[in-house]
Amino acid sequence: MNSSMLDARTDILARLRRVLDDPRQMFRGPEDVRRPDVPMTVTRAEGDPLTLAKVFGENLEAVDGSYEIVADTGAVLKRILERVRLWEAESDQPQDSNGSKSREILSWDPDELPLPSIGQYLAEADVDLFVPDDLHDDADRKRAAAASIGLTGVDAAFAGTGSVVLAPSKGRSRAASLLPYRHIALVPMSAIYPTVEAWLSTLRREGRLGDFVRDSSQLAFITGPSKSADIELNLTLGVHGPKQIHAIVFDDRQ
Amino acid sequence: MIVDVGAPYRRRLEQALGDEAQRTAIERATARLSDQRTKALTTVDNPRLRDEARAIRQSAIQNLPSLLEELETNLTANGCQVHWARNAAEATSIVREIAEKSGTRRVVKSKSMVTEEIGLNEALENTGIDVVETDLGEYIIQLANEPPSHIIAPVIHKRVEDISELFQRELGMPPTDDPAVMCAAARQRLRRDFLGADMGISGCNFAIAETGTICIITNEGNGRMVTSMPRVYVAVAGMEKVIPTVEDAVLLWQAASRNATGQNVSVYFSISSGPRRSGHADGPEEMHVVLLDNGRSRMLERGYGDAALCIRCGACINACPVYREIGGHAYGRTPYNGPIGAVITPLLADDPTSYKELPYASSLCGICRDVCPVKIDLPRLLLDLRSDLVESGSTPRSERVAIRAYTRSVESPARFRRLQRLARIASRLPVLPPPLNKWARTREIPPVPAKSFQQLWSDKREADRGESGE
Repeated sequence: MNSSMLDARTDILARLRRVLDDPRQMFRGPEDVRRPDVPMTVTRAEGDPLTLAKVFGENLEAVDGSYEIVADTGAVLKRILERVRLWEAESDQPQDSNGSKSREILSWDPDELPLPSIGQYLAEADVDLFVPDDLHDDADRKRAAAASIGLTGVDAAFAGTGSVVLAPSKGRSRAASLLPYRHIALVPMSAIYPTVEAWLSTLRREGRLGDFVRDSSQLAFITGPSKSADIELNLTLGVHGPKQIHAIVFDDRQ
Repeated sequence: MIVDVGAPYRRRLEQALGDEAQRTAIERATARLSDQRTKALTTVDNPRLRDEARAIRQSAIQNLPSLLEELETNLTANGCQVHWARNAAEATSIVREIAEKSGTRRVVKSKSMVTEEIGLNEALENTGIDVVETDLGEYIIQLANEPPSHIIAPVIHKRVEDISELFQRELGMPPTDDPAVMCAAARQRLRRDFLGADMGISGCNFAIAETGTICIITNEGNGRMVTSMPRVYVAVAGMEKVIPTVEDAVLLWQAASRNATGQNVSVYFSISSGPRRSGHADGPEEMHVVLLDNGRSRMLERGYGDAALCIRCGACINACPVYREIGGHAYGRTPYNGPIGAVITPLLADDPTSYKELPYASSLCGICRDVCPVKIDLPRLLLDLRSDLVESGSTPRSERVAIRAYTRSVESPARFRRLQRLARIASRLPVLPPPLNKWARTREIPPVPAKSFQQLWSDKREADRGESGE
């Protein structure tokens, strides 16, 4: 940082302090505005886990996503494979990377998925998962870009808005929920909160919120497929991110 | 381009009002966005949402210096490099330096009004760097070599057929009127840019002080691409964007989404707290944050703190009857238009009298204040700006003379009655005498009634007396 940079910082802060100290200021500071103890919850959702799972799914559908609720974990593996087969058969995907398209699924590390056995199950069905180590590496980047399906878990899901939140970490690439044309999100019922506010207040109460936000480098809140209405307000899906997002919700309470 | 943003105000207005296709496109789109907004707000406790959103923004402005210091400390702790810029020139040279050091040849950008404000694209292009706008709307206007005409929907002034023609001309695409086909073409082209760019640049919707986090709201996913794929990520943040907590960001995100497009929440809300951590597969290796003043402290100093609460949702723009007629380009060489733009454009300008027409680009109907999610009293601010202009003697001489004459006329009842008689005669003329004819050219003069209110009132009292006297 050179000295003119320091000057700008000092300058700006000094100026702001002088201005905000002026008694004629509309918003004189520093002072605390009266803020509610509990911030409002903008959307509402309540009920037992199964009800919340349904509300989550309906809200996701309302924003052009899709979902299914699967009762037992054994059936989840089967449903994932069926979904992969269904999507592989669809041929409308653009060829995103250098004109090529691969059958590999861009995935989180199976150990990071809520069902670690998925890797082996899919391998036996001749479906390969690709877990990139480093997207800044050319070979990894090319392979990741060629995948047309992404497979991830979620850190939490919110019934009130049909949203999921994903935090990157080792084995959990951002790319898996971003680059492919289609995204499967595995959502255990235990991860579904009524609202984003309920999730925040749980993390806050447990003293984990600040560290979670900081350490994940980027939290992605995702609500439905990528969309745009820039061309005369015509809704188009899959502008840059996935065109389809499918949530497979399963009961993990035991 | 139909409206030349560099032309004088009057010329811009004439061009905008003369373009029937553009007016139709804008009127349709703004009406629909307004309807969607209204619908999205019926399902929530909007009065409370507005109160809380305003309280968050107000407390942020009151505590701006300490919040900025807290933000800087936490950004730095997260591994970000923080830069401060007093003005556009400092900000652009900071970004140019980062680009130079990192050997950047291509930049991908997500939609950001603050980088339009400081002319960042041009500054980078002048040093030979390739700058690609990746928001679909921004991509289209970059192809058309036009500035955005709306802060949320930059290409709101163009019809499907205009865009199709542009894609045929610039991208060699076969003719189509299917937005999905045009969109797919843009996806393929831009995908190569995302994967090949050396630097990503975004603006900033909110900056969370307690965690050192830059939040951006997008629907297309280009925001996540820009902040995740290139090795270097630079966020340019107007310094008033800082807010205290994560909960604050989540509330404002919902308020902004509902008010901007009528969505409950935007598709993506990407909140970045530094470069990728060790072991992560993706994310930038460097993250820079440029904290920008560029007139914001002056805005506070001049007593316009209310305008600094803005969260850039565009609700006031969509609701404004003036914007609906003239569109964004008529406001001139500024990314900010509509009621909020008419306030902050002159305030952010170095010369307080440049853009002096904008505070008058309003009928003061007040709908902008009624729809604002942080309850900015925009008509009040427009009036304050007008009064500042009058006090600094920046209004035209003809207007000062007219106002002086009017003041004299209303000071005495006799002179006022004479003025009324004159108006009644004038309103019957086919053409007004100069200089009023010029004023009347773009306005419909309301008919002056045969009797004034005072006359009607005294007639009525006389009639009443007559009745009660019987």
